[in-house]
Amino acid sequence: MDPAGHIRIPFRTALAMVGAYVRARLAEQCWSVAFLVGYLALFQALVVGAPPAAALRIAVGLGLLLVGLTCFLEGLWLGLMPLGEQVGLQLPRRTGVAVIAAFGLLLGLGSTLAEPAIAALRVAGLNVTAWDAPLLFRLLELDTEKLVAAIGIGVGVAVAAGMIRFAFGLSIKPFVYVLVPVLLGVSAWCARDANLGALLGLAWDAGAVTTGAVTVPLVLALGIGVSRAAGRQEGAGGGFGVIMLASALPVLAVLLLGMTLNASTPRATAETAFFAPAHRAEALRLFPDDDALVRHAFRRGSAEGRRAFFGDETAHAQAIRALADPAMRRLRLGDLSLAVWAAQRASDWERALLPSGAALDAIAREDSRLPLAGVLGRESLVAARAVVPLSALLLVALMLFLRVRPRHGDETALGIGLALVGMTLLTAGIRLGLVPLGDEVGRPLPAVMHGEAMERGRVRIEPFDPSAVFTAYGEDGTPAPHFFLRDGDGRLRPEPFDPTRLDAESGRYEHVLRRPPAFALRWAAAGAALVLLFAFGLGYGTTLAEPALAALGRTVEELTVGTVRRAGFVRAVSVGVGLGLVAGVGRMLFGIPNLWLLVPPYLLLLPLTYGSGEDFVGMAWDSGGVTTGIVTVPLVLAMGQSIGGELGVVDRFGILAMASVYPIVSVLVYGLILRARQRRSLNIAAGEGGSGG
Amino acid sequence: MAEPAPGGRPAARITCIAHPRFRGRIAERLAALGVASVRVENARCVRQRVRARRWRLPEPKVRLEDAPAEIYRATVARPAAVGVLGALTRAADLDTPGRGSLFVQDILEFGPDTPLAAAGGAPAPARMLLDLALVTAIVSKAGSGEQVARSALRLGAGVPVIGLGEGTGIRDRLGLLRVTIPPEKEVVHLVVPRDDAGTIERLLIEDARMDRPGGGFLYRTPIRAGLTDPMLRIGPQDRAASIEQLVAAIDELKAGTGWRRRHADPATAAGELPGRPDGYREIVFVCLEGEADSRIRAAMRAGAGGATTTRVHGLGGGFEGGAAALERGVLCVPAGAAERVVDALRADGPVQVEMLEAPSAFAYARMRA
Repeated sequence: MDPAGHIRIPFRTALAMVGAYVRARLAEQCWSVAFLVGYLALFQALVVGAPPAAALRIAVGLGLLLVGLTCFLEGLWLGLMPLGEQVGLQLPRRTGVAVIAAFGLLLGLGSTLAEPAIAALRVAGLNVTAWDAPLLFRLLELDTEKLVAAIGIGVGVAVAAGMIRFAFGLSIKPFVYVLVPVLLGVSAWCARDANLGALLGLAWDAGAVTTGAVTVPLVLALGIGVSRAAGRQEGAGGGFGVIMLASALPVLAVLLLGMTLNASTPRATAETAFFAPAHRAEALRLFPDDDALVRHAFRRGSAEGRRAFFGDETAHAQAIRALADPAMRRLRLGDLSLAVWAAQRASDWERALLPSGAALDAIAREDSRLPLAGVLGRESLVAARAVVPLSALLLVALMLFLRVRPRHGDETALGIGLALVGMTLLTAGIRLGLVPLGDEVGRPLPAVMHGEAMERGRVRIEPFDPSAVFTAYGEDGTPAPHFFLRDGDGRLRPEPFDPTRLDAESGRYEHVLRRPPAFALRWAAAGAALVLLFAFGLGYGTTLAEPALAALGRTVEELTVGTVRRAGFVRAVSVGVGLGLVAGVGRMLFGIPNLWLLVPPYLLLLPLTYGSGEDFVGMAWDSGGVTTGIVTVPLVLAMGQSIGGELGVVDRFGILAMASVYPIVSVLVYGLILRARQRRSLNIAAGEGGSGG
Repeated sequence: MAEPAPGGRPAARITCIAHPRFRGRIAERLAALGVASVRVENARCVRQRVRARRWRLPEPKVRLEDAPAEIYRATVARPAAVGVLGALTRAADLDTPGRGSLFVQDILEFGPDTPLAAAGGAPAPARMLLDLALVTAIVSKAGSGEQVARSALRLGAGVPVIGLGEGTGIRDRLGLLRVTIPPEKEVVHLVVPRDDAGTIERLLIEDARMDRPGGGFLYRTPIRAGLTDPMLRIGPQDRAASIEQLVAAIDELKAGTGWRRRHADPATAAGELPGRPDGYREIVFVCLEGEADSRIRAAMRAGAGGATTTRVHGLGGGFEGGAAALERGVLCVPAGAAERVVDALRADGPVQVEMLEAPSAFAYARMRA
């Protein structure tokens, strides 16, 4: 077949070649995750002070992550990106602007449907309740299709607009000047309405999340192809800028959707009023049926809410006791385990009605298993949904519509296969390895911040003999009740006795074991600094490992022929994400409204954009959309979840939006520094020279 | 089947390397002179940046610094070449060290007989040199282009200009196993004094370790006239003139670079590489992006060892039916095979092919063969 003649490679040589190649790629990815893992391990040692609970599983997860990242990136380079670029190159040759724009619309829509960011958004909205933020709840739980459609239309229009931009060589700057004030204006307007205001975090996060791990490289490659084929390189910035549009327009789309639905949505009320029988008809507008409503009361409501729902004490108690039945548990708690529910949601009164400790522990153990095979199976489905339809769309467009064969068919097939396998392993690795590790470190952090002793475990003593309590005196003479506990090593240790934990009826005493604080932090400032430092490092580390950013970085290096180095670019973005997470966590720590932390950087971006070169503006704004990807989102959400949970913050949205705006600032600043350096080396006085610059 | 190459028509290739910010002026100038189909390649210039160390430690710190550059290539009639050179020098102020470089090479052109720009232009630039040569090194990526650039700068050979390319050759005969060998190449262009070229080539090959398997490939083509960029290093200057400025001034006074020769006796020590007596030919073709593969395959059947393709685009651009994305393929073949390869390249339909003699070429594989 090959005219030049196929060279036969002996099997051993072939094996050696493949081995060297795999080794080099793995080593590269080792470096990209090394920082993150080392950093988490360090915090684990400092804060938790013990090896992680499921060390083996985490290690397996990290291994999967490494292999997955390697495969996925190789799949991008070999299969998806060349394919996207080839389609981009051929489209302008054979069709007009209208067809290109239509294809962009289709690709944007398809990518949103294929890579539903909605799952990530739901995680962030895990604590959203139907009474506090009815509109937000409605979009997340009831009208999910409408939300996905709005985001999809936003992304589709964005990609279409991006392609038109490339075809005519328009600058990205006017888009920035128009879109940013419009977005901020609409947000400010929405902030005045309680329902719409609650939606802001979701909308901005939706913009950040939509651009997924497969979409970004594809859209980037497609844009570069169209931009190169159209040949207007001056204004278009070489193919960058689509991701920025794809992050900005969904924000607008979600807010517009919210405005249209706002009229038909109940207003926010108090929880008891919401669950009261008199309000039932109104409340059911937010739920498909009664079961969903009661599940909501169990999963997110408090005991008062449930009391209001059931009307009186007997019905309430009956409902709680019914949880011992597995079918009922399934119906009322969904996938939430009883132990977790009891620990997080139930009041003491409700907990007392639950089955006794041993039975509860058995239920908890039964619920907490996370089988590897199950995770792999689920993630492979997600990966197939993300990879297959999009690559199929491109292949169909290329072969049937443009009538061109892929440049290297075998490489494309291999690449798509690798991307599939890689994405499966990658997401499974994140779920099994990174998220538990990050969670384990993140959860105790706020306690560290307050310099509190942390809970280490619980001991149930049944029956507890109150006569074992004796009095010990403090240095100032205050008496305190204590009792003796024999610890694991058989030593007797006095422990403080908490009378409120003794159940007089059953004689059961639940003792909370506490560990002295990791640092004797007397001042909250140092603790807060530690939490913020953790957030910064987590943002920095996850971004270094982000595959979509690796794709962008490599493209940047290629298009600038190495004048902007991949490493420098990725580092600039990572610093930005770190700062964004600091802002996001700072918001939760100090209770700052989202808008206060989002508006200033955007306002700062306008002059920065004006002063920067066309190419860097595109790269920087794209990096904003790219950062919140497949690795960052789960970890950041888990961190928001654990830190926010400890701090009792309900609305954990906004953190992703911040992780996507601060990198834009950092990359633009990096670009200005680079340009100043290059200008010096070019030996040109400022103000001299022709176009560009 | 195209008619067999009768030797092609004589023409001159102008290559201009400058910062992207001069694109507008250069485009304007070339359009005014009637020079058609200018191809632009993105590249970077590498220079040494010299900084004093902190705390007044001795020995300045030398680092490599990149600056974006664009390589413009166009073909004109041979008599008009020097005039175009002068006009471009004026347009982008290339007489000032550090602005870029510019040179003319005499080529044979096969292909669509579009009329060549033959008139106009300006007087030759004052610093124009007549004894230069272009050394092109093609190395696998992963930092080896950087290594060549570092060596070139250390040898004071000139400002290296690096572009990106993609290699085709043995790699494509391996089947799917080829994915284990990255196709990305870096193409280092270096304008050097002609009499010194052999020495510099030899030193580069040693210093950048090109004499090892997979080390890369290097060849030299002659330059009729050109301007070099003497600004090898940037940094604080503690003398009235930098050494680069002095070199440029003496070049201008002596009207040549012969005085810079490193080896006193050209007959014995010029360090010429072992090669064929009849030398090699550099063959260049430009086609739409995505169409180079089949032509290269035909060329390899006709005896070429491989090719390096670089993405270029038309200057000016516009939505011209997607024709702005082009590929420029470079092959270096023994002189005897040159005509066959040119014919093979053109067999697939009309395409612009340029041929240029390359007195010397070096590759590890070739040494073994």
